[in-house]
Amino acid sequence: MSTQAQSRASSFFSAENISRYAVVLAFAALLVVFSVASPTFFTGANLYNVLLNNVVLLAIVALGMTVVITAGGIDLSVGVSVDMASMVFIMLLAAGYGVPLGILAGLCAAGAVGLLNAVLITRLKISPFLATLGVLFIGQSVQQIATGGGQPIYLVTGEFASIFNAIVRTQVLGLPMPLIILVLCLGAVYAALHHSVFGRYVRAFGAQPGVAWYSGIRVPFNMSMVYVACGLLCGVAGILLSSTVRSYVPLSGNAFLLDAIGATFIGTTISAERRPSVIGTLLGVALLAIVKNGLLLVGWNFYWQQVGVGVLVFLILALSFGLRGRNH
Amino acid sequence: MTTNGEMAMSGMESATVAGSARRKALGTMLVRLGAIGTFALILAYFALMAPGFLNFYNILNVVEQSAILGVLAFGMSVVVIGGGSDVQTGGIDLSLAANTGLCAAVFAVSTASGFSLPVTFAMTIGAGVLVGLLNAVAVVWLNILPLLATLAVMNVVAGAELILTQNTVVSMASDFTMNIATGSFLGVSVLAWCLIVFTLLMVAFLHFTGTGLRLYAVGGHPEAARAAGINVAAYVGGTYVFAGLCAGLGSILLVSRLSASTPGTGELLLSIIAAALLGTVFSRRFVPTAGGTILSTLFIGFLANGFQLLNVSSYWVTGVQGTLILLVVAATSFAKPSER
Repeated sequence: MSTQAQSRASSFFSAENISRYAVVLAFAALLVVFSVASPTFFTGANLYNVLLNNVVLLAIVALGMTVVITAGGIDLSVGVSVDMASMVFIMLLAAGYGVPLGILAGLCAAGAVGLLNAVLITRLKISPFLATLGVLFIGQSVQQIATGGGQPIYLVTGEFASIFNAIVRTQVLGLPMPLIILVLCLGAVYAALHHSVFGRYVRAFGAQPGVAWYSGIRVPFNMSMVYVACGLLCGVAGILLSSTVRSYVPLSGNAFLLDAIGATFIGTTISAERRPSVIGTLLGVALLAIVKNGLLLVGWNFYWQQVGVGVLVFLILALSFGLRGRNH
Repeated sequence: MTTNGEMAMSGMESATVAGSARRKALGTMLVRLGAIGTFALILAYFALMAPGFLNFYNILNVVEQSAILGVLAFGMSVVVIGGGSDVQTGGIDLSLAANTGLCAAVFAVSTASGFSLPVTFAMTIGAGVLVGLLNAVAVVWLNILPLLATLAVMNVVAGAELILTQNTVVSMASDFTMNIATGSFLGVSVLAWCLIVFTLLMVAFLHFTGTGLRLYAVGGHPEAARAAGINVAAYVGGTYVFAGLCAGLGSILLVSRLSASTPGTGELLLSIIAAALLGTVFSRRFVPTAGGTILSTLFIGFLANGFQLLNVSSYWVTGVQGTLILLVVAATSFAKPSER
């Protein structure tokens, strides 16, 4: 009996478990460290602020990236999708079209970026890396041409303020709208990836692309849906972003790219097979967000924050990957 | 898991392809001609439409302007060769551009604080190699995915550059850097010579030495390479250290050319990736080669130059570049034997 308990205890602290839950442990440890180091960190107001300002947008983009990475691809053009939705939405609002049309057209623009990626990858058989890189270049150019070299568009007058407030500040059941939208996106992606036939196909593409093809799965169609879904999710983030800052700033979406890739891959460490998952990605996003916020509150300047984020992420990855040894 | 899939696939392929080996050879030939043909067509268009495009000095000018990108693209190519070209798990060094920025900062700051040339040189190259070593440790010993490991290192390195320069332009000039920037030998500028010599060295190293051949083996099939007695870890680690070395060398050219270390070197990353990956379409097996990398680097250089000569607004240039890159790659993949 006692030996059994002992072995259970030792297996609980095994290298396998530590490496698998390194991100969770680090997350908890960082919460404690920052709470001790800064009196304002572990307050409802600050955490709520982090959630609303740092987590929501990145989480939605990272969800799109998660779908693509699950399918064995990568999307370097998420920033373009974010920007396109933001640009079309703000331009239509400025031109006097209503909010519903603006949102719809914005989402369509982002979806179109995803569709372009999908055509390049599934029909022209270009590798995801090169296809989305090409779309990134094209998207940056389109924005510069449309805005005369990158002039931001600000909508600050009163009538627009009420529109943006209606989108960002409305509360449903005591929760602000962006949070509701994040939860809806989370639920949709979770259901699609983990509880649907489509999700099973997508995971098959990532794990065994050849076998998926020979099993008769319609790879081009389903793969196209993956990239369109990613584009649409980024579009949602783009509309929320421009509603929050009440403007469209060209080329601003690219800031999400590396964080979204990082969050998704950090999330893969909690799965035994190193596959991306919705929960893992969310954990990755939360980790990046509290590290940035915590270092800011502790008083590090921007330069040192960047080093700090890099070192912390590196250490967590080292703990997670290093302990698991060479098993690939 | 992926390896099993690949083995199963290649088994099937060889079974179906064995009968039509000649058709495959023809197809492969078409592929290479497709990419090179598209490349040639675009250059021919510039030659016809842009006055002075084919002028010897203009061509030399493009080679000179491509020197920095070329050196860095070779670093990236070697990492991709050694790590394999899988989209997610293959070799890639996202920290390369940031590393170049850090090395440039080290070079400019150390010169400004009065160290002698050999010392600053050693510090610059040393910084690049050290960052490369960090990547190597992360990828080989700690077993972190290259995409993720180099992403974290990129953050650290970019932050270190900001701390060193406080996000300002650190200007510097010495006889040595002036020589690189404006000197010439046999009518060809020193920067262009650097690229030419570096390219010849890379061709010799990658395609005419045993080490180069073994590097391709490591990237193509690590298990088989290990079974054949190759020290896979040393080779993969070596590629990251080499990329760091390239960052150091590239930064010296960069500082010489601009007479300063400037913030924003990290933005080179996308061009470096484009040059290294675009180069794969010029090879038979779609892996980076020395010839492919230099061709695609010059292609990117000629595109920017041609648009300048045609007076196309700079807003259009990145977009048209992206489109043409997709065109060249698509020309290849259409002729490519079907591959999932």
